[in-house]
Amino acid sequence: MRTLAGTRSLGQAALALAIALFLGLFLVVPVTTVIYVAFTEKGGGALTLINFLDFARTELFVRSFWNSVYVSAMTVVWASALALPLAYLTTRFEFRGAMLVQTLGFLPLVMPPFVGAVAMQLLFGRNGSVNLLLDEWFGFKIGFMEGLNGVIFLQAIHYFPFILVNLSAALRNIDRSMEEAAQNLGSHGLRLFRRIALPLALPGYIAGASLVFVKVFDDVATPLLLNVKEMLAPQAYLRITSIGIDDPMGYVISVVLIGVAVATMWASALVLKGKDYATTQRGGGGLARRKLKPRESFLAYAVVILILALVLAPHVGLLLLSFATVWSFSPLPDGYTLAHYARVLGDSSVYIKNTLLYSSLAAGIDIVIGGAIAYLVLRTKLAGRQWLDWAASTALAVPGIVLGIGYLRAFYGVKLPDGTPLATLWIVIVLAIAIRRLPYALRAAYAALQQISVSLEEAAENLGATKARTVRRVVIPLMTGGLLAGFVTSFATAAVELSAVLMLVQSNSDAPLAYGLYVLMQTPAGRGAGAALGVIAVVIVAICMGLAQLAADRSQRVRGLDI
Amino acid sequence: MSKPAKAVGIEIAGINLSYGATHVLKNVDLTVRPGEFFAFLGPSGCGKTTLLRLIAGFAQAQTGQVLLDGQDVAPLPPWKRDVGMVFQSYALWPHMTVAKNVAFGLEERRLPRAEIDRRVAEALDLVGLAAFAGRRPAQLSGGQQQRVAVARTIAIEPKVLLLDEPLSNLDAKMRVSVRRELRALQQRLGLTTIFVTHDQEEANTICDRIAVMDAGTIRQVGTPMELYESPANLFVASFLGSANILGDGDGISVPAGKRLVFRPQHATLSSVAGATLRGPVTHREFLGATVRYSVRIGGSEILVEVPFQSGGELRTVGDMVGVALPPERMLFLPA
Amino acid sequence: MVRLSTFTVGLTLGLILAAGAAFAQTGKVTVVTSFSKDVTDPLKKAFEKAVPGATLEVQNRNTNAGVKFVEETKANNQVDLFWASAPDAFEVLKAKKLLSPYKPKAAGIAEKVGSYPVNDKDGFYSGFAASGYGIMWNERYVKANKLPTPKEWQDLTTAPYFDHVSISAPSRSGTTHLTIETILQGEGWDKGWRTTKEISGNLRQVTDRSFGVPEAVNSGQVGYGIVIDFFAFSSQGAGFPVKFVYPSVTTLVPANVGIVANAPNKAGAEAFIEFLLSPTGQEALLEPTIRRLPVRPETYAKAPADYPNPFKDKNLQGLLTFNAELSESRSAAVDTLFDQLITFQLEPLKAATKALHEVDAALAKKDNAQARALAKEARDLIAVMPITAAQAASPEIRAAFSGGKEKSARQAELEQQWAAFAKEKYAAAKAKADEALKLAR
Repeated sequence: MRTLAGTRSLGQAALALAIALFLGLFLVVPVTTVIYVAFTEKGGGALTLINFLDFARTELFVRSFWNSVYVSAMTVVWASALALPLAYLTTRFEFRGAMLVQTLGFLPLVMPPFVGAVAMQLLFGRNGSVNLLLDEWFGFKIGFMEGLNGVIFLQAIHYFPFILVNLSAALRNIDRSMEEAAQNLGSHGLRLFRRIALPLALPGYIAGASLVFVKVFDDVATPLLLNVKEMLAPQAYLRITSIGIDDPMGYVISVVLIGVAVATMWASALVLKGKDYATTQRGGGGLARRKLKPRESFLAYAVVILILALVLAPHVGLLLLSFATVWSFSPLPDGYTLAHYARVLGDSSVYIKNTLLYSSLAAGIDIVIGGAIAYLVLRTKLAGRQWLDWAASTALAVPGIVLGIGYLRAFYGVKLPDGTPLATLWIVIVLAIAIRRLPYALRAAYAALQQISVSLEEAAENLGATKARTVRRVVIPLMTGGLLAGFVTSFATAAVELSAVLMLVQSNSDAPLAYGLYVLMQTPAGRGAGAALGVIAVVIVAICMGLAQLAADRSQRVRGLDI
Repeated sequence: MSKPAKAVGIEIAGINLSYGATHVLKNVDLTVRPGEFFAFLGPSGCGKTTLLRLIAGFAQAQTGQVLLDGQDVAPLPPWKRDVGMVFQSYALWPHMTVAKNVAFGLEERRLPRAEIDRRVAEALDLVGLAAFAGRRPAQLSGGQQQRVAVARTIAIEPKVLLLDEPLSNLDAKMRVSVRRELRALQQRLGLTTIFVTHDQEEANTICDRIAVMDAGTIRQVGTPMELYESPANLFVASFLGSANILGDGDGISVPAGKRLVFRPQHATLSSVAGATLRGPVTHREFLGATVRYSVRIGGSEILVEVPFQSGGELRTVGDMVGVALPPERMLFLPA
Repeated sequence: MVRLSTFTVGLTLGLILAAGAAFAQTGKVTVVTSFSKDVTDPLKKAFEKAVPGATLEVQNRNTNAGVKFVEETKANNQVDLFWASAPDAFEVLKAKKLLSPYKPKAAGIAEKVGSYPVNDKDGFYSGFAASGYGIMWNERYVKANKLPTPKEWQDLTTAPYFDHVSISAPSRSGTTHLTIETILQGEGWDKGWRTTKEISGNLRQVTDRSFGVPEAVNSGQVGYGIVIDFFAFSSQGAGFPVKFVYPSVTTLVPANVGIVANAPNKAGAEAFIEFLLSPTGQEALLEPTIRRLPVRPETYAKAPADYPNPFKDKNLQGLLTFNAELSESRSAAVDTLFDQLITFQLEPLKAATKALHEVDAALAKKDNAQARALAKEARDLIAVMPITAAQAASPEIRAAFSGGKEKSARQAELEQQWAAFAKEKYAAAKAKADEALKLAR
């Protein structure tokens, strides 16, 4: 018995060790080389905590901290307000285009935030289309994009898909009898939703909401594009990248950011403890979808169209910009042209190829490692397996710029046989993206594995399959749908990753789309071309996501795991 | 728990229901009398649960009517029907305590707090779970969960009570005691109750009348005794208890389009001479009070159960025997 | 989709091959630059045509990230050239010994453009083009809001401009740093800061990228921007309804190129510098998307009619002599002062400024000596600086930013002190202005 357990855990230990090595090499070491500065005295290099004291004493940082908390919390509120109606309508009613809504609802994630911000300024800015028209017709303007509110506005639109996806899945997984019982006892409509469906979907909702909170807390690009600097992540970024100043405070803030992210994840785990409402009983299947009455139907479509119009506004703005000749202080562009597309078509193929290659490699790495970690944590008793999960999840909180600098520090000195530094190879970009997106794939793998009853694996073992063969023949096939979903999320978001990439791109021929977009968007003549490239990026990533989604759906249906 | 002012009858007429190409209920007509404990009995997939869900409002029929107390309920959504349903899975909400679960329907009816508290206590008392009010469903045993589900349903004092296989998640011993409790409770409340089951013993022991269903149709309605003694068709005869069925092909003559049907314990073994039904013994089982013989007659095997007498003569496998049957026990049912 | 995937596979192979082959080429010149594609693409094409066998590998990073990159990778440097506008970025690189000296052989290059020496006196970097600072504005915005057109920095301090001006933070933009430094050197430390703060009181936003300013002006989100000239020229080139003016206190500063220490392809790097300074390279600067001022005087003969010519135009003659050493000695202090006194105290500063504009308007209708005196006190409160010019360049302050031994306080402590100082003064100024407003009404 002892030898049996021994060989078994030997294989698992080897797997765990390999993952630990990967995470150590490509996450822990590079990040540590950067943030240890936070604990050293400037110039001297002696270890100290004085920098943290300075952080707490500096009014600007404290203000920035609370601004970040406020913006993140309000973003969760608004993102929920956008996601709730869509999730509710598409999972509980016979709603034509429910599939379309779910797909379109995912699109904001595919938009690089800095591009979205440019488009949104043109539409909702102080002198954007909406405000110019409002001013002309009614004589007032609305400060959609002003200060912290502008950040909340953009972030809510950008990140609400995380809540939509998690909430929809949670709602679909509630056993229909849960809600039927409530209807039978006289409850219906919104009250039924509030008292039964929502509490039961809470775990899924919290998972999505905590992710949004952390992402917003750590986001640099969106606040800076709106010229909001008094938030924590922008402060770190500004400090770290300011010219010629070796200031430990940037790294102190990075440590604080990582701390907040870990605390958020921990708190959400705490809230969810003992709330595992796995209610699906016999093949599950959510409440029978109700038909909407004509008046309800009208209202529902109005709400959905309004929300979709809002969340797709960046895409509309980008599309307009990509065809615009000049768009300045006017509700619509002065004229339209195809010239921008003509300009980027030649340049962009290399970016597109790189993006597809990097994103699929990174997402591939992510689901392999994410799936392995989920398996080790949920299905084995290996000591210290939780650490793998925690380490991988920390990646969520490491600012891209910190990871980028860490990679340069850790790998630039490592030479290949011909003298080229390791850090100049394009595969390093892939690794950085993979690390940045690993938490998404990890969450998806967890969800997929949690839905598989242990008894299915036990049955396989009982019939003579070894652990490894059980994994290969039972676990992986059953997880396919969930893993594909993780792949899609990782892939789509990897395609728009910029902050770490910006530091690591060594040559134009190795650059992905987001980099090309960024470079183009920095010139007056390049805005239209950048927008055209952005449109191409969104279309390509959306097509890839659609195909992956189709494949996932098909594999689910083949296995009879209709969701 | 006060008795409802008046027990309510259910009228089901001309129901047809399809899901796409699947015709789930075919021309169903049925009357459930006020105060009756009624069962829908049938194999899985026969449409019994769908019929129950139709009454509760969770399914919509293409044609036909459901009348509750003479009133057509078609325009009423589930939450306005006042029919209490206990789900097979119990559907207890894991995020609420037992008391909260039971209070739910009363809160939805916007009753005053004091009234709610009183009725929750009463309902929990009635099922003997007053001490468990503060627990979560996950902390209860299967039987206790089932009783919470019942308490939650009767707390709203529904017009009728619908039970969807309420005993299927309990172990054999629990089933016997719980079904007695259910029967006692129904008697006390005088509540019209419909009980869905695939287990004839459950239906026989607690129900006043049974509708036997098969493939979306009602094959026969009657008391357990009527169904057993005079089944209307071969399906009912063989679904309730065991029945021997013989036809033309077995070397006997029966009226055109009919089959001869009889129960194993109504036949006796006789000498071969002069017997219309005869054949070799193919199998013998000793059951204690009786001995069960299998006899091949023509192309069929029939069962004959004879009382066991100590020292009595036993037939052995291979013996040629005759089977005797009193004429009043012979049923000729349509094939 | 099938074609796409074969494409991807082919690409994978291609990339693997390229990774192996790239280093065999001798003609690859790697350059880190803050210049946009609009600038680098035409020059890359012209260079590769002029020097057969050479390829220019462009790594586009903003100035700060570029400096950071060169610094972080010095152990195994793969970059040949650093190519950017801001001279102080080169000063930083020079101070960190990350540049290697090179004296260009090209003849016919002006010694000075405006009054700024074209080349680094120590020979670590060379100017190849000049740029000046000024004010750009969106004509549609100005017309719609019935606003004036500016000529001087002082114009931006007046009431009509309130909430319409944009600037990038000097700590984030080498070019803005020079703009502020130009004002400080032109008007003196105290007066210069007073002007800077008075302009800043009218700011709509402080961006963190140089390009954020022309972008906001081009799209009409703000009316006026303080920018380097080529942003305005290339925006005009792209068709945006914008105008630009050089104020009389400005300076022309060269955009530079320098060879990075331990460059892997030093010969190629030198060839690129020579190309930039050659007549062909200089003429390429006239392209509508580039629009830099060449440092070779004869090139202007080929320029369009309205092209500014620093060697002829009167308004660009006899400008302020920019002291690069002085600028370098206090650059961290100036940047940090701007951030702590202006960027992160913008709301209180604007509140005080707005109140003062209202006082001015009230006084214009009905004069009141006491209110006038109070307003002056308020203006002085806004203008007062926590440190003097001498302190800003002192070893103590410099050490606080560089982590040196002589420091009297840590950078974080200085920042806290300055922020608290500004907050208090602005609040006091606002109180005085409010008081003046009551009297003036």
